[in-house]
Amino acid sequence: MKKLIIIFSALSLLIFMRPVLGLGTDINSATNASVATTQVDNFEEESIIDEALDGIKTFYSYTGFANSSSGNVIMIIIGIVFIYLGIKFDYEPLLLIPIGAGVIIGNIPFVAGNQTGIYETGSVLNYLYFGVVKGVYPPLIFLGIGAMTDFSSLIANPKLMLLGGAAQIGVFATFLGALYLGFNLPESGAIGIIGGADGPTAIFLSSKLANGVNVLADGTTVKNLIGPIAIAAYSYMALVPVIQPPLMRLLISKEDRKIRMKPPRAVTQKEKMIFPVVALILTTFISPSALPLLGMLFFGNLLKESGRTERLADTARTKLIDIVTILLGVTVGASTQADIFITKDSMLIFGLGAISFVIATCGGLLFAKFMNLFLKGDNKINPLIGAAGVSAVPDSARVVHTEGLKSDPNNYLLMHAMAPNVSGVIGSAIAAGIILSFLG
Amino acid sequence: MTHLLLYTDPISEGYVILFTGLLIVFTSLVLLALIFNYGLPIMLYVYKIITKGKDKKISEIKVKGDSGFTGELSAVIGASVHMYLSEQHDIESGILTIKEVKKAYSPWSSKIYGIQNRL
Repeated sequence: MKKLIIIFSALSLLIFMRPVLGLGTDINSATNASVATTQVDNFEEESIIDEALDGIKTFYSYTGFANSSSGNVIMIIIGIVFIYLGIKFDYEPLLLIPIGAGVIIGNIPFVAGNQTGIYETGSVLNYLYFGVVKGVYPPLIFLGIGAMTDFSSLIANPKLMLLGGAAQIGVFATFLGALYLGFNLPESGAIGIIGGADGPTAIFLSSKLANGVNVLADGTTVKNLIGPIAIAAYSYMALVPVIQPPLMRLLISKEDRKIRMKPPRAVTQKEKMIFPVVALILTTFISPSALPLLGMLFFGNLLKESGRTERLADTARTKLIDIVTILLGVTVGASTQADIFITKDSMLIFGLGAISFVIATCGGLLFAKFMNLFLKGDNKINPLIGAAGVSAVPDSARVVHTEGLKSDPNNYLLMHAMAPNVSGVIGSAIAAGIILSFLG
Repeated sequence: MTHLLLYTDPISEGYVILFTGLLIVFTSLVLLALIFNYGLPIMLYVYKIITKGKDKKISEIKVKGDSGFTGELSAVIGASVHMYLSEQHDIESGILTIKEVKKAYSPWSSKIYGIQNRL
């Protein structure tokens, strides 16, 4: 303690001695040239205090306290809430904590022009944000997802693939809703994909359509909506356990919820190997614009299933996806800089996002009921798994599982729900490709 | 395409995209489902004919032999292996051995060479 005081006083003495000894006069004369000529007499005494005050003033003008706006404060509070939700309720903590930290980082007030902020060219954050703007991160995430996903339940029961398509109604309905609210076509397309409940796809599509760079046919530039769309997509994905159960209870009767499905047949390794190759070729031939997403997804799955590239698959599903998730989460969070983020558009996007989630869930549930009309006896499906058709892997499948357990404690739906879940990923990527080919 | 956008109403354009989009998503997934329902057995059959039993590198899981082996059974086995591995750590021997580590003298936290060196 004593040492500290001595060091501190020595330092402060040095600082105050400097102007007295005339070491700082050259700087002083440059800034206070006019003052110096008129007040020659008491120049020395005042300059010490003046300079100290000036220094403190400039320092203060650079601090966050001087530059903060109410928007910054609100966004920082939102960031803290994200972190709190992630830690306390375990809502997708791997996403919410990086994003929450990113929101705080992006909303620390700063003086523009020092290459600090995420939107200033040359700043470190801007370089990292490049991966979002150019759509580099989402395909890498898809590679990891592919290397993690087991498609066997889908191969065993291919008709469940339709449920993943049904949930894409949410995408197109929201697209229409956004059009009616006055967004232009590309922006609406990017907003609609929130209903796909797929963070990487949403970022990929918005970076292509609503990136603030593209110029429309009538000469207007599209708005930069990557931040709001990504935040909406990820926050609703985290809220899947809150949004979906009430809808399930509303639309599916108690008896239907108790339907037991027969266990999926065992799938051979060969089938698992054929699946990614065939699905890759087929889906990308239909929707080539989704190539970056679907190509990487099935490539990752091939790495996993080939049985020869376990090392590569292991890297893709652990280290690589972790690194990209960290970068993506923080930069997407930081892109919510208050002056750009807090707008009427963002609020509309949040509203539309919630509606699109509801529509997607309902679409999946109702389509599952509809399919049941044609299926008989043992083949009947439990309509709850329709809700897993919104991607949000694997959260929505888990929600279906727990809801199923509530009505029948011995009915394990997780394996069955994974099938529409992964087909939802494929479906939303195809939908993104279609929207991109129409509007890109 | 871009010229069309100028003169057509975005809402009607939106409806076009809505219906064609949904149609394409559905047809592609239906195609995929059909191929895996009907095409896959054919593919496997063709593969079998081409290789004619030469395939010994990848051991096949015999489906017929394990008809009683359901996904639930494998989940139970998987869970038990996982639990065994994660709790394995608890069955370590409780004997702690603390060995003294001899090091060459390092003055990094020395009390002798302080700022206020009062000897």
